[in-house]
Amino acid sequence: MRTAVRQATFILLLALLPALATAVWHPRRPSWQSDEVTVSAARAWGDSVLWVDARPVADFTRAHIPGAVPLNEERWDEMLHGVLDQWDTTRKVVVYCSSLSCDASLDVANRLRQEENLSNVFVLEGGWESWQKENP
Amino acid sequence: MSRSSQRIIAAAIGILFLAAGFLKLIDPAGFAIAILNYHILPWSAGVLLAVYLPWLEILCGAALVLRIGYRGALCVTAGLCAIFVIAYASTRLRGLDVECGCFGHGVHRGFWLVLIMDAALLCALVWLLKADMRPLSPVVRANDPAKP
Repeated sequence: MRTAVRQATFILLLALLPALATAVWHPRRPSWQSDEVTVSAARAWGDSVLWVDARPVADFTRAHIPGAVPLNEERWDEMLHGVLDQWDTTRKVVVYCSSLSCDASLDVANRLRQEENLSNVFVLEGGWESWQKENP
Repeated sequence: MSRSSQRIIAAAIGILFLAAGFLKLIDPAGFAIAILNYHILPWSAGVLLAVYLPWLEILCGAALVLRIGYRGALCVTAGLCAIFVIAYASTRLRGLDVECGCFGHGVHRGFWLVLIMDAALLCALVWLLKADMRPLSPVVRANDPAKP
């Protein structure tokens, strides 16, 4: 049993070294700073916010945050220009999906950062559900 | 079951962990998203895990295949599987529908399929660990071609 613990500890510690290198040099390393923003914080940014709706088009058509632009992964190429047309370096992009449990907003925000090199990209905490709660 | 069979099963599990680790390592940012979707860890802990876990899986996978630090690797992988089974089951209890992130980000599988596969993997690892700690009987040892 002692051997197992000693070996396990060695493996756990050894993995730290390449992990550190990954955190520093990997081209697709994650950001250490949280990109989630609450509804009230995003609203406080006023007109500088560019809302991006990552939900399916049918949901967007039904209702969306005023001024939001649709962009989802299924129709990425088709919809991307709609976002880029409205984006400039002074604007903060806030991506949202349906609720806390959806991951489309994280994916879209990640792609906007990695593929389009957009800065100031955030994810709305709680998504459309949170927006509706605060704006009944 | 003979030592040879145990070695084959351990090597197969090792290859599985190697594949899982390398696939996660391709896109740590995407894997971080998969972790954060579980809504268990804070952002920084999720990011830390996203860069650490792939390497831990690769090292454990290599250890199982090469049988270097074998017993320790069995303990670590069993621990990882146990934590994953609890975390993944908790998502259903909390009403979340998340991808498992087992082989990187963007691969969706059924909830029960993932849970059963990981529970089976955990059982296999615990069994391998117990078998490795149990000394072979003289009869089995004499007939086992893979005896040390």
